Amino acid sequence: MLGYIFAGIALGSIYAIAASGLVITYISSGVLNFAFGSMAYFLARFYYFLNTQEHWGAVPSVIVAVGLAGPGLGAFLYLVLFRYLRMASSLIKIVSTIGVSVALPPAASLFFGGQTITTAPGLSPTPERVYTIFGAVASLDEIIAFACVLAVVIIGTLVLRLTGVGLRVRAMVDTPALTSLSGVNPSVISVGVWMVSTTLAGLAGVLAAPSTGLTPDGMTALMASAFAALVAARLRSLPAAVGVAMGMGILTDVIQKYLPVNSSLTNAILTSIPFFVIAAFLIIYLAFSRQVNEAASTGGALDHAIRPQGGSAAMAKSSASAAVVAARSGWSPYMLGPVVIIAIVALLPILLSGYWLTLLGTGLAFAVIFLSFTMVVGEGGMIWLCQASFAAIGAIGTAQLATSHGMNPLAAVLIAALIATPAGVVIGLLTIRLGNLYVALVTLTFGLLADTLIFTRNIFYQQGLGVPVTRPAFLVSDRNFAYFALAVFIVISLIVVNLRRSTTGLALAAVRYSEPGARTIGLSVLSMKLLVAAIATFVAALGGGLLALNLQSAVPTSYSTFTGLIWLAVLVTVGVRSITAAVLAGVAFTLLPGVFQTYLPAAWGNVPTLLFGLGAVLVAINPDGQVAVNARQFQSLIVRLAERRNRRSGTGPPDPAPAGGTPPPGLAGLVGKATR
Amino acid sequence: MSAVSAVPAPPRMQCRDVTVRFGGVVAVNSVSLSIPPASIVGLVGPNGAGKSTLFSVLSGLARPNAGEVEFDGTDVTGTSAQHRARLGLARTFQHPEVFSGLTVREHITLAHRISTRRSRIWSDMVTARGFRRAGQEEVERVDSLLEGLRLSRVAAQPVAALSLGMTRLVEIARALAANPTVLLLDEPSSGLDAQETAQVVEVFRLAVERRGVSLLLVEHDMSMVLGLCDYVHVLDFGVKIASGTPDEIRADPAVRAAYLGEEQAPEQGEVTS
Repeated sequence: MLGYIFAGIALGSIYAIAASGLVITYISSGVLNFAFGSMAYFLARFYYFLNTQEHWGAVPSVIVAVGLAGPGLGAFLYLVLFRYLRMASSLIKIVSTIGVSVALPPAASLFFGGQTITTAPGLSPTPERVYTIFGAVASLDEIIAFACVLAVVIIGTLVLRLTGVGLRVRAMVDTPALTSLSGVNPSVISVGVWMVSTTLAGLAGVLAAPSTGLTPDGMTALMASAFAALVAARLRSLPAAVGVAMGMGILTDVIQKYLPVNSSLTNAILTSIPFFVIAAFLIIYLAFSRQVNEAASTGGALDHAIRPQGGSAAMAKSSASAAVVAARSGWSPYMLGPVVIIAIVALLPILLSGYWLTLLGTGLAFAVIFLSFTMVVGEGGMIWLCQASFAAIGAIGTAQLATSHGMNPLAAVLIAALIATPAGVVIGLLTIRLGNLYVALVTLTFGLLADTLIFTRNIFYQQGLGVPVTRPAFLVSDRNFAYFALAVFIVISLIVVNLRRSTTGLALAAVRYSEPGARTIGLSVLSMKLLVAAIATFVAALGGGLLALNLQSAVPTSYSTFTGLIWLAVLVTVGVRSITAAVLAGVAFTLLPGVFQTYLPAAWGNVPTLLFGLGAVLVAINPDGQVAVNARQFQSLIVRLAERRNRRSGTGPPDPAPAGGTPPPGLAGLVGKATR
Repeated sequence: MSAVSAVPAPPRMQCRDVTVRFGGVVAVNSVSLSIPPASIVGLVGPNGAGKSTLFSVLSGLARPNAGEVEFDGTDVTGTSAQHRARLGLARTFQHPEVFSGLTVREHITLAHRISTRRSRIWSDMVTARGFRRAGQEEVERVDSLLEGLRLSRVAAQPVAALSLGMTRLVEIARALAANPTVLLLDEPSSGLDAQETAQVVEVFRLAVERRGVSLLLVEHDMSMVLGLCDYVHVLDFGVKIASGTPDEIRADPAVRAAYLGEEQAPEQGEVTS
């Protein structure tokens, strides 16, 4: 028994280190770091590079990889990204940290080599030394993990409580504005906090690598477990987070004593513990507190007054830039842009063939999936990180219905999408009232849970081959399939555009911009957001089914949650509110890697993902995405030319405001007040 | 405006013994007030007196720790803000809560549609309304509101591009577009210049006279409150220290003490007439 507890304490220590790293950046800079797992992966991968590939000793490796590279990475990321995020809305914070999390793993394989790592060494020398304490066995790795968390807690408490630096940090957590007025430079403190947090990420990564595996997915799962502790601590209390993390670790190992060894059930139970911890605490919060979200967003009266409307208003201002919006109902000539782009895409199946045509079909199926982000992020103003899981449900549902139950494949796609929809509604019911951050947290955890719990089951997984799906006869040729996928895309686009321009769209925009404002004119925030969540889930699953049809098999592992983060990064890079962006992002997502694989050295294979990650990071600077920005520049050029011509001919009325539609505002438009 | 008649018409909205605590601080302490039909009621008090908190309780954005809120005779204490809005309650905010990316016209259109054709929130999705023009009657009503608040010139601009004063006017227009029976106004004149203030006062008078709307007005501008309101309540540190007609309030020693810090400390309590 004691042996299980020791193992549990070691696991809990790793969770606790990760949870402390997440809490300190959240409370000091308001950024919940979704890139934490990738940072852990990057630094642990660096440790592996030094220790295993370059044959350094464990101690110098950990000093360089965690002690030096950790603070270095933290400072770098702070300087290039995180310092711009403090005043950003919570959505922009989430998206740009997801960009980092997408960009870091390919960066790691560029720097340290792309080989797959089956076993990662821990800190202790092999063969691992083992000690006997109170008659139970504890390995050196376990002792090191526990020593690390003790050191973190003790040093952290001493620094925060007793030193001048600690006082400044605590002051800044309370109110950065007043702290900077009192002569302390908040950015010096912030950069310090980020350096500490990244170091903790590296430490957690190195400690966890032997058990979770040295992969981005494994580290994301580690981060999700730490998120569970964070949710329990309501994101703010460091001692509570550490306590819950330790408890979760001990629980995970102790129940192993009572579960059958090496059974899939045991594995399922163990991997779902973080999710159940999150679910339990969310239900408690929803049941026992009157206004979870409200309380979180209100904060101190003074800070509320000082906070310049979360920066979102300023960003909305710059994004809308006083452009005149023509009637958003009825037809307008500005709908021509997307039509032209889609017409060009429609020419591609004729021009391409073979490999490229297959990629195009896949890309168009992705474009459909991306429309689900357009709905939920662009219209709903929420970040859902489990669209990949919904797509997987669509794919495996299609395969099961069509192949195992002999249903017409197209009907199977539709029904599988309908089956997936309630999942989105239930998650929405659980999280939407708690605010954007919880939506992102919970959807991420749900996705990871589905990854390990559902999609690895052999009935779906089939030893990695997936269940085959046969296309209906008229779609067997890739060209026909590409046109079919494009047709589906156009139908859903029309639905999205109609929704955006109708009363429903106005109501959704209202909810996005100001929840109190929306509620006091009689809108229910929950039902509006549930509506988009349901539609988006349906669309994601539909796209997943199409993708399975295109690949002629439903391989659940190609819909992992981490892949879903890359999808979001891709779409956000191109533009999250525009139909055109969705189709361009879909096509780029498959054709660009195709180009890299075909024409460039293999080592460059990861570059597209790196670029997509960096693109998502750029939303911190430019929330609209590239399509929207270029479209706006193009439109203002046309307007200027038209004005000049009018002036020359002297016919046009001297209209002071440029007549034209704004492109749909991007992320800037989605941010209401920054709710945490 | 004439003093309110003594006929005991049932109040449109009232609250009884409302108490709100934030941790150890009692922001509102057992406050009661009522809003009779087609009247203008003022709520005044120094900063931090609990006016905005009371507004949150009345509009349903916050729940009181004790006390009841009634709307048209039914208890709405536990109901949501959106439910109260559907019953005919509208409000504006001290820091305007507008939908910054939507145009002025869209604000008013949305509020109007929600109050008149609520089902369109859902039905528009399937009826392809997004591709059709708005109805004639709706356009007229929206135009008249835009006209009334002199917003026609900026109707097509996103609200993010407007000044604070304009934004406040948009919020008022949005609230009126919902065809409310009770309208709660949280410092409607702050950020407005003298001309704009005169204009909103005119709009408020018209709303009361023509549409029978009842107003509850939080204001710093004492002269505006005393000139416009039929009845005035004074809060200080969460406690109602006085209520009465403007003339009574002018003469009230407790109010003078709260506002001017005069020496004689009157007994804390209601100085109702």
